[in-house]
Amino acid sequence: MKELFTMLTDPRFHLLYGVTQRFSMGPEPRQARLNREDMTLAEGVRKKARVYPFMRLGTHPSPLKGDLFSPMFGVVSDINERSLFLEAAEPDEELRAMAAEVRKTDVMELARDCGAGAEGRKRLALGLKELGLNTRSLGQECETLIINGLNPDPGITWAEPMLMAHRSTLSAGLALLRQLSPARKIVLAVPREMRLQFHDLEIAHVPSQYPASVNELLVKAVTGRERPEGVGVVGLHNLWSLGRVAETGLPLVETVLTVGSLRHSGNYIVKDGCMVGELLDFAGIELREGDSLVRGGPLRGESLDKLSRSVTRGSMGVFVVEAGTVPPMQGHAPCINCGACVLICPARLSPSLLSRYAEFALHERARKEHVDACLECGLCGYVCIARRPVLQYIRLAKHKLAEADRRLAPPEPAGAVAGNEPESKEDSHA
Amino acid sequence: MPDVRNAVLLAMSAPPYWHCGRTVRRQSLWMAVALAPAALCAVWNWGLPALRVMALCVAACVAAEALCQKVMGRDISVDDGTAAVSGLLLAFMLPAAAPWWLVCLGAAASICLGKMAFGGLGANPVNTTLTGWAILFVSFPLLMDANAMQLDTTFVDPLLRLKYFGAAAAEEIPFEDLLLGRQINGLGAGQAGALFLGGSFLAARGFVRWHIALGFFLGVAGLATAFALADPATNASPFFHLATGSVLLGGFFLITDPANAPSRPLPMFLFGLVGGALVMLIRKYGVYADGAPFAILLANLLAPQLDLLRPKPFGGR
Repeated sequence: MKELFTMLTDPRFHLLYGVTQRFSMGPEPRQARLNREDMTLAEGVRKKARVYPFMRLGTHPSPLKGDLFSPMFGVVSDINERSLFLEAAEPDEELRAMAAEVRKTDVMELARDCGAGAEGRKRLALGLKELGLNTRSLGQECETLIINGLNPDPGITWAEPMLMAHRSTLSAGLALLRQLSPARKIVLAVPREMRLQFHDLEIAHVPSQYPASVNELLVKAVTGRERPEGVGVVGLHNLWSLGRVAETGLPLVETVLTVGSLRHSGNYIVKDGCMVGELLDFAGIELREGDSLVRGGPLRGESLDKLSRSVTRGSMGVFVVEAGTVPPMQGHAPCINCGACVLICPARLSPSLLSRYAEFALHERARKEHVDACLECGLCGYVCIARRPVLQYIRLAKHKLAEADRRLAPPEPAGAVAGNEPESKEDSHA
Repeated sequence: MPDVRNAVLLAMSAPPYWHCGRTVRRQSLWMAVALAPAALCAVWNWGLPALRVMALCVAACVAAEALCQKVMGRDISVDDGTAAVSGLLLAFMLPAAAPWWLVCLGAAASICLGKMAFGGLGANPVNTTLTGWAILFVSFPLLMDANAMQLDTTFVDPLLRLKYFGAAAAEEIPFEDLLLGRQINGLGAGQAGALFLGGSFLAARGFVRWHIALGFFLGVAGLATAFALADPATNASPFFHLATGSVLLGGFFLITDPANAPSRPLPMFLFGLVGGALVMLIRKYGVYADGAPFAILLANLLAPQLDLLRPKPFGGR
């Protein structure tokens, strides 16, 4: 009912785009910038070292975070705290031979060998981690696991083709997911309008208007309850990655993402670490002075400052927002109490009030106004006629409150922290 | 990267990167568009004096806002059009024969006391336009009385007729006359048909909250019907009440100013309802013929209380 009365007249918010075309392969990267934060680099990986596809470059200390593999033939051109830079290079005989020696893992066999039960799941998760997969959300503790089959953000269009045209990959991922997840029930949530049958999977039809794809709202649409216990959500993207590894038997070195601008939109399978500039070139998108470059979704993503930023496993899209197509954000604009954000907020908060509290550093008051119930869907900023960075203010308040809590709380044992980072961390790289 | 395009200067922003495209300026523009039919009707019915008052009032409001911002050391933001719209709305409530100094005084009072004194757009506790109007109305009752100012006309003041000659005399005025603005009233407030068109357009486009407007009109019509059923001899029909005074102007353009209204659907509706009911109570039991402006000012004061009616946040227990 609420959808009828919101002011979202933007057709892009209807998360069905009728795109069913199979994904194209992305560019062969000339350069790559891989995220190596917290990773222990493999032996011999240093500046000028030569690398070949699927070569292990680093190991993540967390059992839930995937290891790092090279997506191509090349040379390590630089290494710093956060990133590892590769430069494409013609391989010689020796390197070719090494590349040919990369053995495929029969992942299903691995799953069988690991056995059932909690121990078996743990072993399987470790095995998958060694194939470059993040298994935190896939293997999370829950009774019911919901696969989020909606396009996460408006403008992202890969969910439909993934469900329709790349079904074999999903099926492979699903078979593996059943081994990996402790959930007793796995449900695939798809848009209401989508006709889809899986013989071995329960389908739940949910609304298809953004913000329906926000995890918390998806859970509510499927279970009818708000923040219930024992229900987990995993992205379709993760399931696809799982299926990709199961199908190829090779470590994960790629991601599916939508590259979009005002006129162009396409879905590509892109190599890990591919530079955004190369990707845009490949997609034929011209950038002009004053355009904004976004990694992630157009509503929740992050703004990039230069073309030499890269996409990593877990990136969902790269978007260009042309200068002049949206009114520019006004950092200092005061709230004019128009109430549009209050009307649209799916969490029933008052973003107007929250953003003002954050503006004047009254973070404790924001806590009293339930800032932690915010789902960070970004709609408040979308409808703000004063063009205030509302979501950014709310994130600031949340960040400051978390910081304050950390200062007050007793120090946690090391190691416990690693696996508990928020979901978004997985794709915030370089 | 060897790529030359790397030299492109990218604009950093904060999420969301897409936007619905609505800005304060565009909102004001649509308000002006919605007010245009009534402005045209006003000129049609009252001639050039109406145009004079409207132009002067808009100019005075814009000038007052620019001056205030200059004095307060702020960026001049009159280009957002809000002052112009406030000016036009104020002009709509003045008689077409209002003297120039009255118009300027009202405009200055509206902007300085009704808006800038509280910090600018959206910070005022009660409606900007009505603040100026109320100051003029209590200070210069004779000059603000359209019936006394507009002597050179064949129109009648329907509300005065109702108050002093009874319902039967009031109902003699043909309804089309009320709709076409052939009534003595504020120069624009009386253009009932045109205001209804413009206001419905705004509500349908979501520029004003339909919950408030609907509540307001239901409040007026509901109480008017109740009165009319109780005693048809002294009470006019609900249609008469809707088409007279500043009810249409107030319901669509004044009470819906979101800065002074609650922001959630149910409180908005109740807010409108209270405003509408107050109009009828003032008309029936008060000393003023038209209760709408004061009713809206009173309802504005109630808005913060209504805002306390709120649902639990998502997942809250």
